[in-house]
Amino acid sequence: MDILPSEEEQMLKNGAREFLEAEISTAMVREMELDGLGYPPALWKQMADLGWLGLALPEAYGGQELPLTYLGLVLEEVGRVMAPVPLHSTSVAALTIASDGTEQQKQDMLPAVCSGDMILTWAVYERDPRLIPEAMKLQATADGDGWVLNGTKMFVDNSVVAQRCLVATRTSPKSDANEGISLFIVDPNGTGVSQTALVTLAKDKQSRLDFKDARIERAALIGEVDQGWPIVERMLDRATALLCCQMVGATRKDAEMAIEYAKNRVAFGRPIGSFQSVQHLLADMILHVDGGMMLTYEALWKMDQGLPASVEVSQAKSFCNEKCESVVRHSQVVHGGIGFMMEFDLHLWFRRVTAWTMRLGTTYDHRARIAAALLDVPGKVRLGMPLPTAV
Amino acid sequence: MDFGYTAEQETFRQDVRAFIAENVNQSLLDEMESGEEGGRGPEYRALVKKVADLGWIGISWPKEYGGQSGSRLDQYIVEEEFMRLGIGVGGAGSGAPAILAAGTEEQKEQFIPGMIRGEVIFALGFTEPQAGADLAGLQCRAVRDGDDFVINGQKMYTSAAHYATHIYMMCRTDPDAPRHRGISIFLIPMDTPGITVRPLWTIQSDPPAPPGTTYGMARTNETFFENVRVPASCMLGEENTGWYVGAMGLNLDRVGASRYLISVRRDEDIVNWVKENDFGGHSPAEDPAVRDKLAELWTEAQVCRLMTMRSMSLVERGGTFTYEGSAEKVWAPEHGVHTTEAISQMLGPYAQLLNGSEEAVEDGLFAHNLMGSFQSGINHGSVQIMRDQMARRGLGMPRG
Repeated sequence: MDILPSEEEQMLKNGAREFLEAEISTAMVREMELDGLGYPPALWKQMADLGWLGLALPEAYGGQELPLTYLGLVLEEVGRVMAPVPLHSTSVAALTIASDGTEQQKQDMLPAVCSGDMILTWAVYERDPRLIPEAMKLQATADGDGWVLNGTKMFVDNSVVAQRCLVATRTSPKSDANEGISLFIVDPNGTGVSQTALVTLAKDKQSRLDFKDARIERAALIGEVDQGWPIVERMLDRATALLCCQMVGATRKDAEMAIEYAKNRVAFGRPIGSFQSVQHLLADMILHVDGGMMLTYEALWKMDQGLPASVEVSQAKSFCNEKCESVVRHSQVVHGGIGFMMEFDLHLWFRRVTAWTMRLGTTYDHRARIAAALLDVPGKVRLGMPLPTAV
Repeated sequence: MDFGYTAEQETFRQDVRAFIAENVNQSLLDEMESGEEGGRGPEYRALVKKVADLGWIGISWPKEYGGQSGSRLDQYIVEEEFMRLGIGVGGAGSGAPAILAAGTEEQKEQFIPGMIRGEVIFALGFTEPQAGADLAGLQCRAVRDGDDFVINGQKMYTSAAHYATHIYMMCRTDPDAPRHRGISIFLIPMDTPGITVRPLWTIQSDPPAPPGTTYGMARTNETFFENVRVPASCMLGEENTGWYVGAMGLNLDRVGASRYLISVRRDEDIVNWVKENDFGGHSPAEDPAVRDKLAELWTEAQVCRLMTMRSMSLVERGGTFTYEGSAEKVWAPEHGVHTTEAISQMLGPYAQLLNGSEEAVEDGLFAHNLMGSFQSGINHGSVQIMRDQMARRGLGMPRG
């Protein structure tokens, strides 16, 4: 038990910060909001050269096979500078290929991910935006040696630039054991898939994907037919914890801007940071961002240990949803009017953190999951101990 | 980052639990509840002796003074397991860290082994009628007279004073110096002539709170000092440095199982209660709003745990706190209040029933907790003072 970063973890984090702060300016962030691709390919290549794209992927396929917590530390720094790179979506899909893909799928995709030659994404959301099996309606119908996809996926990250997308589909009616879902690897720019850009608060690249008789081959299946939901769940849990890292990184930077501003901005003849009403706001901001950070890394650490982590993921995300939002709003309050002027950078963080609270599970979704684990399984609960599990 | 315990620590925890199962019985708990001798009667003292004989008290304190020179986390495990039954053994909250850090060789030898065996118990004499949140305004005077000091003044909320062997108190030794630089700490036997203890009864005194209530103490005290003559060797640390010795000791003492468990035990209690009970066939656990709230509170409670573990990690590394101790002292008490108030809305009119009432839930635990949980945010530095400290020391904000 030592929940502070180790020397090695701190070095990795510092290295990531040094590189990212040198390479990424808010001018670049603004430029990429308007860019068709949404990311600078040269920078992506540099990140590949630094080994970050395969940080937590197996060595056998060109990765470094480091724990997820390390990838989390890098994503925290990505969030801090709002790096406009498709690292989150690529990592989420690549980790699923690494854990559940076939040998051929791993060979085809993972080395290309590590070298920066393949961008990935994932598509689970549909019009009913709950991330549960019942909401999976996109139909995959067996046809000869493959399948035909019909339906719609929503809120898909970076699909314009992704070569492959992991798509959760329905292959059989829902059963009580959550069977009937299959996960496929699809080219989101291939025949039968049309993309419609969504205009988002974070000004990132999200799309609606409409599938109309999109044909895929047998080799595109991840895992077994109808048995895809547990794979999807694990993918979503990793995606959620890693998004929390970005939220925590961005939120801490946003809070630091408020702290600096409060030290320097003079009103009533003295720095506003000398007023207790402001001091206490700032103290709460640090409490909240620290809390989100610790919950997040505990979830990632549990995954690294191969322990159940769904409740920890939901704790992290529900907390970050409320508290990171509160922090960035408080930061706006401390900055006053200038904070919501387009030319001032603060809103870049505010808009992203706020948007991320809505992705990968709302506060209510995650609390429902925690409540089910707390209340619907017999046996006494005790803090600091694993919750009772169903027999 | 490592969020788990080692196999050795898990085994040790099992050993502590086994000891508790074997040695903590109802008659001990009844004795503690009765409040006589502050709950520290013969059975309690026998238990402390047994735990001390096993080497489980003050595990992280130096061997030469009766500790084990061991890990703070091992000590925490003992503290946590006992504190779950409301039994404060293990070392936290004792005042020992300040004595170990600032005491003379004689003082360490005089006090630490006795504290481990439960023979030395300190009352805390900081607060005064005119010095609460603004502690540095304290006026209790200690005037040097040859090799002695003569103390005159009054201390408030000296909760352990009626059963403590000693008092750990702050006095003004230089009235002309800047406020923070004219204070010294004294370690004084309670039986010194001139000390009078008068009870102050809390809102938990009628009816008495059931065991395990957060701040369920029926009694605290005010303590008067009238020409109390003590030798200068009673002083802890250098003359006029008491403010800094005390602040450091408070920070270290704040760390541990006690504050954490005070703030989160109701989270476990309410979840376990609604899982197994109902009112006339309906359990609050069926209500979606209640479920959402319980999940929120459970998550907040995890943050209490993680803040405690962060402090433990810092102590184990030999680091110093900038704001982490204060942060814990904001988050945990406020969380305890959130939970307690939410429970009253989950149980509705049942949550008003006090200990001894017909139909009371868990002997009125949740009702009494409403009177106790907020005290945690007031005692030992209020949450407002803690936020001041976070902002000034942690974030470098200028003074107002």
